[in-house]
Amino acid sequence: MLWVALILPPRLPAPSADPAAPPDHPWGICPETQAGLAVWCLQFTPRVALMEDAVVMEVEASLRLFRGLGALKARIADEAPDLGAAGIGWAPTATAALVLARCGVPDLGGRLLQAVLDPLPLQALSAGAGHAEPLSRAGINTLGQLRALPRGGISRRFGAALLAMLDQAYGLRPEAHRWETLPEDFHARIELPGRVDHAPALLLGARPLLMRLCGWLAARHAGATGVTLHWVHDSMRAKDAGDGGSLTIRTAEPIRALEHFCRLMAEHLAKTRLLAPVGELRLEAIGVQALTEDSASLLPDTVRTGETLYLTLERIAARFGPERVLQPAPGDDHRLEWMTRWQPATEGRSTGRRRAAARAAPSMPEPGFLLEPPLRLALREHRPHYQGALTLLLGPDRVEGGWWDRLPARAPAHEASDTGAGARDKSAPAFTALVPHDDAATVTAGHRNVVRDYWIAVNDNAGVVVIFRQPLDDGGSAWFLHGVYA
Amino acid sequence: MPSPSLPLPPAVAEAVWRGDALGRGTDTVWPSGFDALDAELPGGGWPGRQLTELLLPQFSLAEWRLAGPALRRVVADGAAVALVGPPKRPHLPGLMHLGLDERHLVWIDARTPSERLWCAEQLIKSNAAGAVLAWMPQAAPEQLRRLQVLAQSFEGPVFLFRPLAARHDPSPAPLRLQATIDVDWALDVQILKRKGPAHETPLRLASIPGGLERVLTPRVMRPSTMRPVAPVPAAPREAVPAALPAALPGALSESSRAPQPLALFPESPDVVGRADPAASSASAVR
Repeated sequence: MLWVALILPPRLPAPSADPAAPPDHPWGICPETQAGLAVWCLQFTPRVALMEDAVVMEVEASLRLFRGLGALKARIADEAPDLGAAGIGWAPTATAALVLARCGVPDLGGRLLQAVLDPLPLQALSAGAGHAEPLSRAGINTLGQLRALPRGGISRRFGAALLAMLDQAYGLRPEAHRWETLPEDFHARIELPGRVDHAPALLLGARPLLMRLCGWLAARHAGATGVTLHWVHDSMRAKDAGDGGSLTIRTAEPIRALEHFCRLMAEHLAKTRLLAPVGELRLEAIGVQALTEDSASLLPDTVRTGETLYLTLERIAARFGPERVLQPAPGDDHRLEWMTRWQPATEGRSTGRRRAAARAAPSMPEPGFLLEPPLRLALREHRPHYQGALTLLLGPDRVEGGWWDRLPARAPAHEASDTGAGARDKSAPAFTALVPHDDAATVTAGHRNVVRDYWIAVNDNAGVVVIFRQPLDDGGSAWFLHGVYA
Repeated sequence: MPSPSLPLPPAVAEAVWRGDALGRGTDTVWPSGFDALDAELPGGGWPGRQLTELLLPQFSLAEWRLAGPALRRVVADGAAVALVGPPKRPHLPGLMHLGLDERHLVWIDARTPSERLWCAEQLIKSNAAGAVLAWMPQAAPEQLRRLQVLAQSFEGPVFLFRPLAARHDPSPAPLRLQATIDVDWALDVQILKRKGPAHETPLRLASIPGGLERVLTPRVMRPSTMRPVAPVPAAPREAVPAALPAALPGALSESSRAPQPLALFPESPDVVGRADPAASSASAVR
């Protein structure tokens, strides 16, 4: 049996609270913090119990899973203070671990339990603290001195409870615990120590909530596809600020990586403006589903180190916006700019995974870059010029059609053409990277019909380019640069 | 110098690097697809775990022609290729000729120099992509040094495309190349910096981009002879194609006032160099 006790500091009384009101916890600690710590502890072992002002857990059976005693100790010592733990003790019994944590002794240090407990003060044992005064007048200050007294006398004078707890601490009597159970839904709430009026500073309060979330997810062997952070403005807010706000972060695949959630949250909070100071935070998990975990392997594997590409792309998309992190999808079209649809990489991933094997390379030559919109070329001596005179090599390839590709803004046929164009202009800027540009003539026509004669041309400066000649409305025609064989 | 009477043991001789030999590359290299270039690169290909700078006279000129052939193996390993701030919209069908496909390509539309650097840094740090191609119109040496340090933990190649004007700036990249194009389907490549002796004679690498090799006819294999402005004295065999563009302005002089571009390029194979009927039928499919 190996017990860990995490004790919580007493909560400072709120300045507005009534001092005569009964405390909401007999030990004067915040019950929500204790429950949150217990949820976090449940990722290590199912044997977690609340005990007085602490959370105790039994981790003997979990050591192998968490890479040994040293690694687990380091991890708990690293993460538990963020969740509010003020002291940590490791001992073979829960009561002894609690005593050690209160006295600031981290563990037995290779000695016997009795040798470690004997010199510790009587007040560290909660049953002994009430009788400390008469005992100290009798010269009994440590647990060892108390244990040396006749048991019958202690039991008569101070009650059986003191003796029972003393025996439990020394492992002479079994302990009984009420095990904590994992809640079905995750809701976490935290009251910020001070009023925060700067959104990025909310991350400091959100991090313990995210740690609790990751502990809860680990205990359920699940991952979340998103989190929602709600904040509540404090009562001194301006009238038009409202009660609070919220921020929802979604990920492409279920994860429970704390650092990734924290980085995504930091990117989003950096762009958030708070309307009023915030006093309270709540966190909810979205889309919790079972997560397949990687099994630890004995043999070194050739897997890539570092995080997966999607986590990186999500972080980039969080800063730039999803419409600027793009992945292609082949479109069944013969017009160059519609051969590929670029869509946000952080969406629609499941469809991409199910798609069959990649298509073979096209049989026709295609440029590596496209210009959008096509650049109209100057003519000199009736020859198209682009950074010098272009020599036409191959062509013409007639590409025409597209009358079926109607503009969505023009769908109501009776709508006036100028309002249709205006409506499209308003929605256009967000998606300029997603869809090729529609010029004014296309918008007026209402569909993307093209009549183009493509040529492959070359010159010294511009390299190999794709240009096309297109008849204009006035009866003439014009040359456009459309792509580069870069 | 070992004296002839005392030859080094083979194990020692292998481990000694001589100043006139190429330096050893990193542990993994990606063949560049050009044998002549591979022979000049330390390790025999594009190196992983370090930056590779490619300097071009302008962007979107020869990026895929130079760096593209190496990407086929990157993608074959199942890793993705990330493009940071390409100068124009990438065209997937053209990149499919390089072996890329829609599942292994990510376009990050970074615009400002700081966005490009941050993006490249994130991708390199995470070591999740198989190759990173970043266009860097402006970058300070200390910013590149930061990338170079991070790149030591990135397994794949990292290509930074920079303008030719940056060739005189100090750079922490261990490998720097300068590339210009030749219209006769070739690239002129000079290695500005590498681990090993200085590279003096520029390489001329034959390169036909984007699947054009299937449709190019023998006549258009020499576009430099087809220039309309400066007719070159050509060999008798090539006299016909070379002379015709030169004759063109004269033939057009009567109708030069009239805006009739259609008449400028009649559907005659001689003018535009489409003599091969197989090529024209293949082109018409599109």
